[in-house]
Amino acid sequence: MVTAQTLVGLSPEIVAFLFSVLVLMVGVFRPGSPGFTAGLAAAGSLAAFAVTAVLLALRFEGSFFGDGYVVDDFALYFKLIVALSTFFAVLAAARWSGGTGDAPEYLNLLLTVALGSMLLVSMRDLFGVFVTIELATIPSYALVAFDRSRRESAEGGMKYLLTGMIASSVLLYGIVLVYGVAGSADLTEVARVFSGQLSPVALLGLVLLVSGVAFKVSAAPFHFWTPDAYQGAPTSAAAFLSVAPKAAFFAILLRILLEGMPGATPTWAAVIAVLAIVTMFVGNLFALRQRNVRRMLAYSSVAHSGYILAAFVALQGAGAQRAVQAVLIYSAAYAVMNLGAFFVIDLVGEDSKSYNGLFWTRPGVALSMALFMAALVGIPPLSGFWGKAWIILAGAQTGSTAAILAVAALVVNSVISVPYYFGILRNMFFEEAVTGAEEPKGTGAIKFSVYALAIATTLFGFFVGPLAALAETSGLL
Amino acid sequence: MITTITIFFPLVGALLMLLLRSADERTVRYAALSVAAVPLLLALYIYFAHGGSLDDPSLTQSFEWVGSLGIGYRVGLDGLGFGMFFLSALLTLIAVVASWDVSENLRQYFAILFVAELGVLGVFAAQDLILFYVFFEITLIPMYLLVGVWGDENRRRAATRFFIYTFFGSTVMLAGFLALGILSGPNFSMEVLGGGGAALSRAAQIAIAAPILFGLLIKVPAVPFHSWLLDVYVSSPISTNVLLSGVLPKLGTYGLIKIAIPLLPEGSQPFLPYLAAFGVANIIYGSFVAFMQPDLKALVAYSSIGTLGFILLGIASGNALGINGAVMQQVTHGLYSALLFILVGIVANRAGTRRIDELGGIAARMPWAGGLLALGALAAMGVPGLGVFVSEFMSIMGGFTAFPVQGVLAALGIVLGAMYLLYMLQRTIFGPIKLPALETAEDAEPIEMAAIVPLAALLVVLGVFPSLLINVQQPTVEIVLSAIGGS
Repeated sequence: MVTAQTLVGLSPEIVAFLFSVLVLMVGVFRPGSPGFTAGLAAAGSLAAFAVTAVLLALRFEGSFFGDGYVVDDFALYFKLIVALSTFFAVLAAARWSGGTGDAPEYLNLLLTVALGSMLLVSMRDLFGVFVTIELATIPSYALVAFDRSRRESAEGGMKYLLTGMIASSVLLYGIVLVYGVAGSADLTEVARVFSGQLSPVALLGLVLLVSGVAFKVSAAPFHFWTPDAYQGAPTSAAAFLSVAPKAAFFAILLRILLEGMPGATPTWAAVIAVLAIVTMFVGNLFALRQRNVRRMLAYSSVAHSGYILAAFVALQGAGAQRAVQAVLIYSAAYAVMNLGAFFVIDLVGEDSKSYNGLFWTRPGVALSMALFMAALVGIPPLSGFWGKAWIILAGAQTGSTAAILAVAALVVNSVISVPYYFGILRNMFFEEAVTGAEEPKGTGAIKFSVYALAIATTLFGFFVGPLAALAETSGLL
Repeated sequence: MITTITIFFPLVGALLMLLLRSADERTVRYAALSVAAVPLLLALYIYFAHGGSLDDPSLTQSFEWVGSLGIGYRVGLDGLGFGMFFLSALLTLIAVVASWDVSENLRQYFAILFVAELGVLGVFAAQDLILFYVFFEITLIPMYLLVGVWGDENRRRAATRFFIYTFFGSTVMLAGFLALGILSGPNFSMEVLGGGGAALSRAAQIAIAAPILFGLLIKVPAVPFHSWLLDVYVSSPISTNVLLSGVLPKLGTYGLIKIAIPLLPEGSQPFLPYLAAFGVANIIYGSFVAFMQPDLKALVAYSSIGTLGFILLGIASGNALGINGAVMQQVTHGLYSALLFILVGIVANRAGTRRIDELGGIAARMPWAGGLLALGALAAMGVPGLGVFVSEFMSIMGGFTAFPVQGVLAALGIVLGAMYLLYMLQRTIFGPIKLPALETAEDAEPIEMAAIVPLAALLVVLGVFPSLLINVQQPTVEIVLSAIGGS
């Protein structure tokens, strides 16, 4: 039954939906005004952010549609990350999408992915999970393939679509098996059956479900679409996809595992430990070989998925609370540093050589990029450090062999990742400047985003305390 | 409050440097000098006003950062850190004075140097594990950039290796810190951990101490973890060498004495004999390799690694004599190695080469530079009357009491040190002049004297009045001793 309470609970999504429709309408009734469209989309994402923030401040809680949809601090937190990432992605997309003449369609797709991601983090019903994952994924195929001026875009979109379809079917198959075993798609019901020794069918369902999500978060060995898709996608789309929907996928994985399968923790922790360690190594070792900054950041995002998955391994015993905190903090930390790093590509270029001597010609952009790279490595007091620190804390507190191994892999991988992130620093500071490189025009919005994100990356340490406190009351444990 | 101001004042300098866009070189140098003088004056003020009572509340500051985890911004000074706190401020000023070999992009050079200063000052004042680590790492990127941008032709490789090695060490160390903090409370305040560190079981302490010791020993670096060091010492500009050899290794040794040993007394205890052995390895290996270096700067670099060994030996001893010696050796080592690196720069500037076999007769044409080079070398040998003697002697005596074998070997190291240093002096400052460039060389100029004379003077002063430093460190050394149950 839809009550006023329901409408309030759904208000962030309603706002996002209304604005995505409005953006399309503008395309029909006021064609040729990309600036206005982008402004509208930016306003929409900010409005969704504001509504979510108000709900969080009021400590709004509720469960709707027969407990299938829940609004709690945890969900609201991830909705904030999604909405804010959308805002920055819209800013970064404004100039480029305006140039294509299809700004309304592009921005509508962005907002729809955001809508899907925001709905997803509230789902407590496995079929709802599937539907909203698809709502977040299907428009992203189109986003990746949107740049018709580049062949790579179509190629990336096609690869993403084909592998994505397979992954969706794997995920659905997993969900159906879990449903078959539990007799219900509701997480509370699932939790009753998924405890202790799992039957082979239940285990298969669990593994398929985790694999499906692993594909979505580009965990190895399901990551093959990532470099091609991110290289082909327009920069704003690649940045957005690597942050917002991914945070939502991690959030829902956390919810499914903690609410739906708390009794089977050792089983899924072992599965995810393997996944996490393989993902870190694959992401970093392949990133080392890249000369193209987009591909490098794509593999870097694979590696960072591995780091976040390491937190999942610690979701047991004394460290469980800390591990939830780690996922929350890492998602926010990763959002600010990775969005920033991607946006710099639009200002400078995707060939790592185009960064040569940047510090001596454009110090502001170069310093921001240096901050993003150092944050991705995990240098304190930048944002990435806090994420990694929390994962290590959780692992140390949990103390299980799997958790210790995952933390050790994280430490080793942080070091492996230094050469490729610092390759950019090295080019920016140590090499001669490229002659004749001109700053692209009309990049005010992107520059604003880059500087804002650089400041957020630097001052992230001040938000860690409140974020940790929020995680403690998130209600997941 | 005054501690916080001292730590963060260099940030003002970094911003000022970025703002002085159209200033000429002279203005930039004077501005940098004035900024660098402030932390030193503040440190001097602290010494004269509170030298005997560093636990004065006006020097400490503390507020919560992440309350639920016991992470806080806690700074304060104690006897272990004060000497290095002072030396960091001093050596930054000296580095600014000695930056004559940096001519391009001077503003950026100073700005980055000041960020490094902020980091090192912070390390020696931090009273919280996480804060310590944050400052510890803040120094890393500035040093990487100083070497990588302003170093010689091998700078890129040297800087990258330096960064990867030390980052690896510090990340491993961080894992140990986090485990220590989370399992003791959670709490990251060094004061609280020092009081209740024994709450952890012995096995847990050992498991935590191992990564912390490993990370710190890479930072020092202890032989055999030193392979990153030679390139970076040789490639970097002279003024960067001042910080690189004078202060950075002490981040590692200070971490040992401030964190690893007192906070994990039972955990670090089984490692102490090995720590002493690492110290001896540094002394002996450093001396032998220094003997074979054809390059004067490489010789000084290995000599610098070698005498770090006395610090490790003193720390491992676990008695008052050894620890006092180690804490003091941190300062005297910084003074003498900075002095020698600057003199190498002056000599190389005049001669156009750093090859020892081509040099000769420096003292004839350059009595001041040659004389001070001799003084620096004598200090490095541990000749009585100079500060290094006192600290090395105390470290060896302390080390001998605890570990006789290592103590004897370390004393042998002094002989080896005397051999290669005297041999070096004989070939460089004495004898006939071989290079035409040296025939007409001018002695050290006033600005160069301004960089080296204070260091030489302090070495003499500390040699004659070691109590100036020891009285400050004694109270805290006693606290460390009571934590580890030594005497």
